Amino acid sequence: MNLALSDPFVLAQDYPEQTTGSLRSGHATSVRFNRKGDCLAVGRVDGTVVIFDVETQGIARKLKGHTRQVQSLCWSRCGRYLLTSSQDWRCNLWDLQTGTILRSVRFHAPVYIAELHPWDHFKFVLSLFEDQPLLVDCTNPEPIKMKLPTIPKRTQIDDEQVDKKQAAQDAKQSTTVSIFTASGDHILAGTSKGWLNIIEVATRKTIYSTKICTGVVIYLRLTNSGRDLVVNAQDRIIRTIQLPNLSAKDLDPDTIDIEVEHRFQDVVNRLSWNHVAFSSTGEYVTASTYNNHDIYIWERNHGSLVKILEGPKEEHGIVEWHPHRPMIAACGLESGRIHIWSITSPQRWSALAPDFAEVEENVEFLEHEDEYDNHPEEELLKQRLDLEDEDVDVLTIEPVKGEILDSENTFKMPFQLDLDDSDSEEEFISIRRGEMRRKSFTGTDHLLDGDTGTSGDDRTLKKMKGRSKKR
Amino acid sequence: MSDFDSAESTPVPERPRKRQRIYDDSEASTPRYSSPDEVEGDHKPARSSNLRRTPRSRSASSEERSPRPKYRSRSASSSGSAGASPSQTPDAGPSPPAYKPPQLNYKQKFILRGHQKAVSQVRISPDGCWIASASADATIKIWNATTGKHMRTLEGHLAGISAIAWSPDSNTLASGSDDKIIRLWDRASGIPYPVPLIGHHNYVFSLAFSPKGNMLASGSFDEALFLWDLRARKLMRSLPAHSDPIGGVEFVRDGTLIGSCSTDGLIRVWDTATGQCLKTIVHEDNPSVTTIRFSPNGRFILAFTLDSSIRLWDYVSGTCKKTYQGHTNLKYSLGGTFVTGATSAYIASGSEDGDIFFWDAKTKEVVQRVSGHDGVVFWVDSCPMTGLVVSGGMDGTVRIWVDTYEDDTMAREEAAPLEDDYKPKEDPEDDNMAVKQEDIEDSEEKYHNDTPMGRSPSRERSPARSQEQVTSPERMEH
Repeated sequence: MNLALSDPFVLAQDYPEQTTGSLRSGHATSVRFNRKGDCLAVGRVDGTVVIFDVETQGIARKLKGHTRQVQSLCWSRCGRYLLTSSQDWRCNLWDLQTGTILRSVRFHAPVYIAELHPWDHFKFVLSLFEDQPLLVDCTNPEPIKMKLPTIPKRTQIDDEQVDKKQAAQDAKQSTTVSIFTASGDHILAGTSKGWLNIIEVATRKTIYSTKICTGVVIYLRLTNSGRDLVVNAQDRIIRTIQLPNLSAKDLDPDTIDIEVEHRFQDVVNRLSWNHVAFSSTGEYVTASTYNNHDIYIWERNHGSLVKILEGPKEEHGIVEWHPHRPMIAACGLESGRIHIWSITSPQRWSALAPDFAEVEENVEFLEHEDEYDNHPEEELLKQRLDLEDEDVDVLTIEPVKGEILDSENTFKMPFQLDLDDSDSEEEFISIRRGEMRRKSFTGTDHLLDGDTGTSGDDRTLKKMKGRSKKR
Repeated sequence: MSDFDSAESTPVPERPRKRQRIYDDSEASTPRYSSPDEVEGDHKPARSSNLRRTPRSRSASSEERSPRPKYRSRSASSSGSAGASPSQTPDAGPSPPAYKPPQLNYKQKFILRGHQKAVSQVRISPDGCWIASASADATIKIWNATTGKHMRTLEGHLAGISAIAWSPDSNTLASGSDDKIIRLWDRASGIPYPVPLIGHHNYVFSLAFSPKGNMLASGSFDEALFLWDLRARKLMRSLPAHSDPIGGVEFVRDGTLIGSCSTDGLIRVWDTATGQCLKTIVHEDNPSVTTIRFSPNGRFILAFTLDSSIRLWDYVSGTCKKTYQGHTNLKYSLGGTFVTGATSAYIASGSEDGDIFFWDAKTKEVVQRVSGHDGVVFWVDSCPMTGLVVSGGMDGTVRIWVDTYEDDTMAREEAAPLEDDYKPKEDPEDDNMAVKQEDIEDSEEKYHNDTPMGRSPSRERSPARSQEQVTSPERMEH
């Protein structure tokens, strides 16, 4: 409801300008906003998943279940369920209503990335390390794991000689990333040889394949609308693709035409990209850079670079764009902090004094006809009250642009007042003691990740704290 | 009122429409009573007041707009129109007006006694089940909203409490006191959370939870507006909001804006995310603003000012849309609320003469005026789901009011013909009886009329009574 009062120039700004803060809880490796944009899920090195409240920048919930680094996070559409995948070869589906694990599925290989079905929070697709991707249905406590094909679908025309060679090659490749389309009827999968497969969920068959790049497909991501796809690949080029309507009734797989819309790359420095994300509307693409501190933003109309965000002197891993605000969150690889870039609007001074107005240039004073006329007070009052004949509607709620309707998204995370605040202490110390102290903490986290369980975490921290006080 | 009569005399065109409306609302209104007999027994006087009240909404509108509406004018017009109403019937019958005149008939259901001193705020929990009342005796009491039963007394503050607020899930209660501390309480156990929110340099005077329950806004006499992160129990933001004590703070429906008001006469609207002031509203006469409420849809701000007015502001354009007058509010910090009816919205507020006023939000007419409290009525709150209204006042009582209007009409249609019960309401004895009933113990139904005769002189605020102190609300006097 603040849009009507906000500075239009600030609202017109689509992408963030500068760092506005950072969040910290342990060593974060992955982040993901929920669809409403009020929560930020953070996966840590020690396997803990932390939900941050974007408004207060405080921890809303801590989910402990994984024992190794969290690899990927995915929110359900309603915001109640969160799917996490971890290096402990497990995927956990959390119910945030209770803060418990609803389903825990173990696989026989480390999980790269797991993505939830957009409409059914019990289905997800995941790609495993050097193994075939799986479609998992865990509606029942006993999950059903369905293998998905990796081998690209070739056209029939190729002659046999080539075919054999290809088959041998195809067998070697593995799926590195797989995601659902917006409707949930198809799966997009990227392989280690640069192929993009479109797999029909119902039949679990590859209906279309195309080679979009030469190297490994590192990451795929759709816009919120699901119409556009961004591909991060090993060949240092980020591609955006406009997807055809795959759920059209008369879809002929052979006529699917996937064309790369834009290629974003740094020709001069030959930077490669750690992670990519679309902006809320899909107009912009952002990427974190390998061995570099900057976050790049391109716009998709002309395909030009619009901004290089500078921030903390640290390389960033996963980068995420807020679902409806010009706000970017990225994980610092070294410190494990989550850095936030956003817009800061200056205070409009005229808002503080209602009888003043900000003017661009001098305005010549023109006296109104009755400006200094004297009226009896009673009469003025009566006039004023008589003017109040407008109809007011204090009840009807007008929809606000960009707001998710309540009817559609009714889940509200239960509010917990009694969270243990060990983390806030941790943060406090790191601020007070500066860089050195903080680094030692991340060191602890790394150590803990190796051997001790999560329960030892706090004790060790307390010991460390005691030591630092003595000094 | 014309609606009523026409329904009876020209049944054919009117009935279906009326029926329709009754059935719509009966569902919502029935569960309010512990037994249907309560309503049944009292329906006569209730309707009488309706009949007398309604025509005023039209005929007296011009008088109402006079700069200082006096209670006298109201009573005069009501008696006049009551007599005139039968003659209006033929006109009103054939062409039903597009805008249905508002009908309300709030009656006292329970008197909740227990507070030693004045009650400064009463709040109904968002789920409609509980009523919390804060008092100058440094306690908070929680009551069951349907039965009026006293559930719990929360003790812990060292001075009078001026502000309470329910968390959106109705499980936590925040209280702000003159001991400068904000405490959070678990509603079910009545135990305060171990770490209170300490930071204000002066009395805490108003509190508001954000719609998500993650933040608490507090306004204090130290002229600052604090925004607390409730999970970490840390001060998130301190806004140097005003140059005088802050009277009220509130969050808008979606939590993106915070409104604050102060005795410096300003209403400020803040952006929750950035902490910036987005708008300042000030009335020409600069009267002290003691309380603000956002409208249910978040488009308007209702401001209670110490010039006996309540103004509805469009905060985007900064214009005053409506001024509600008729009550007395010159000295104390009074608070009211929007009351959501079946079709229209009303505004309810206490008054320093001990009455509760209900205005139609659109027409600015006083739809109903009920008395009951002995002394200033400090706070009126309503439950948007059930239409329940609760009030707290200088006399240390909390009173629960229910709208019996729809039940009356239903009862009438089923049972008695209109003309018959039309008469007894003119009988002054009715009112006297109600006054006497007043002294009977708690939790007994005490419906009594809001007719002018019903207000005995003894209930008018005597100077002596205003001395008897209510620590907190009194302070708004400047």
